Amino acid sequence: MEFNIKRIGNAILKDVTILKNTGITALAVASGILFIGLFFMTRGDDYLSADEFMGIFGLCFVVLGMFFSFAVLRESHNAKSNHLYFALPISPLERLTSIWLTTTLIHTLIFTLMALLVGQLAIFAGGIIFGSGFHWVSLFSDGYVKLIKGYFIIQPIFLCGAMTFSKNGIGKTLLTLLLIFIGILFYGLLLFSVLNHGYGVYPGDLIADEAFGKASTDFSGVGSWFFTLLFGPVMLLATYFKLVEKEV
Amino acid sequence: MLQLENLFYHYPKSKTVLDSVSLTFSEGNIYGLFGKNGEGKSTLMKIMAGLLFPKSGQCTTLGQHTAKRSASGLQNLFLVPEDFELPNLTIGTYEKVHSPFYPAFSKNQFYELIQEFKLHPREKITRLSFGQKKKVLIAFGIATHTKLLLLDEPTNGLDIPSKSQFRKIMASAVDQGRSIIISTHQVRDLHSLINHVVILDNCKVVFDHSLSKVSENLWFGRASDMAKEAILYTETSFGGKAVMRRSDRPETEVDLELLFNAVLNNPKGIQLALEQTYHGV
Repeated sequence: MEFNIKRIGNAILKDVTILKNTGITALAVASGILFIGLFFMTRGDDYLSADEFMGIFGLCFVVLGMFFSFAVLRESHNAKSNHLYFALPISPLERLTSIWLTTTLIHTLIFTLMALLVGQLAIFAGGIIFGSGFHWVSLFSDGYVKLIKGYFIIQPIFLCGAMTFSKNGIGKTLLTLLLIFIGILFYGLLLFSVLNHGYGVYPGDLIADEAFGKASTDFSGVGSWFFTLLFGPVMLLATYFKLVEKEV
Repeated sequence: MLQLENLFYHYPKSKTVLDSVSLTFSEGNIYGLFGKNGEGKSTLMKIMAGLLFPKSGQCTTLGQHTAKRSASGLQNLFLVPEDFELPNLTIGTYEKVHSPFYPAFSKNQFYELIQEFKLHPREKITRLSFGQKKKVLIAFGIATHTKLLLLDEPTNGLDIPSKSQFRKIMASAVDQGRSIIISTHQVRDLHSLINHVVILDNCKVVFDHSLSKVSENLWFGRASDMAKEAILYTETSFGGKAVMRRSDRPETEVDLELLFNAVLNNPKGIQLALEQTYHGV
């Protein structure tokens, strides 16, 4: 199996260069939203905490990451550009690695740096307009680590969706996710009900309410392991095979 | 260099496009791949480039299966598609981000060709006309120095002066280590450029011969009344040109359009004439 670091670097440079203008526009929009949100947060308690920062940061970070994942694979679906895309001398594994690194590591680095800058500007502007106290922006917290971890787990779903659906990819991927989530929820509920029915787990009359509440609980611990360790790689593997099997 | 063995291909829920296609392309030649519209020329080019996978049979470049799309295999070929879209970059940036994938890429040659095509490295590709974009891609393809260069309808979108410029540039691009395959339905555009003809008809290869063999065995021109029995094909118009067995006639320049029509109308007669060896004086 071919795996050349230099080619991966070249592919990252190519993708980033091609998406530069789109990326700058998207980052500018995200910066604007972040700035307005953070600016008004400095008004109340004089201090912009990491948790306050995290809410709006997380939303922009994940949404932008999702758009970025779809944008990076757009060439593969365009009937006029996919010939040159798939004829480029790079193996499917190298291509997948470069796309994954671009949409996870590089996206995280650039977005974090941008958010830190915008946050500091918001604090500065808040100090001038609302008279709130000056302080250094704090972003790195448990919440931040959790967010990045969560993004790294769900991001391969976007890549798989971007590779699978040639049209309306984002909508179809989100719909599939929703269906998978509902499916797992019902499956969990069914298993839980069948296995624990005789133990009086549902004492009340509102059985459906209680059951739904419990269906999302990971009693065994297997579920969280599955999602944190297996789900991402499985989705990446599915994306890899989509890349290998794609004909134009 | 490029070997096709018993290729069979059909699109999903569609009729057969290629049936038992076997061909060998060797280095140092410029091949003309001809056929009517919809005869599978572009499909064959895509299979050669690893963009489509044959339903049966195999396609190998320097021993590597093209369907595997390995990086080392793809480094040996470059495809200029018929219709394409290039990213919103300047010509110079396009070269900078794509050339590192081709180990034998010659920057000097690329920029020389860009200059010859009257383009500038700082020009944005998206602002160029389709013909100019095609020139950028042709220049890039030549500069990659891949063993195999595939051009699908390269003259579509080129103006008349550019077509002769294209022929001149392609003729200088071929060397002993390289094979160029040009697919087109505009046979006149490849006049004096190719040295081997492949014709597809009814999903099959109906003609696969070098031009030297054609000119050795066939004669192109206006037929006299005396030589009617030797005519293999003649144009329907009054006083039209004909293809004849050469026999002891002087060697003529191959008329590609006439040859193409002759092969489609009388494939057996042409085949038989080519199998006879002419022993001229």
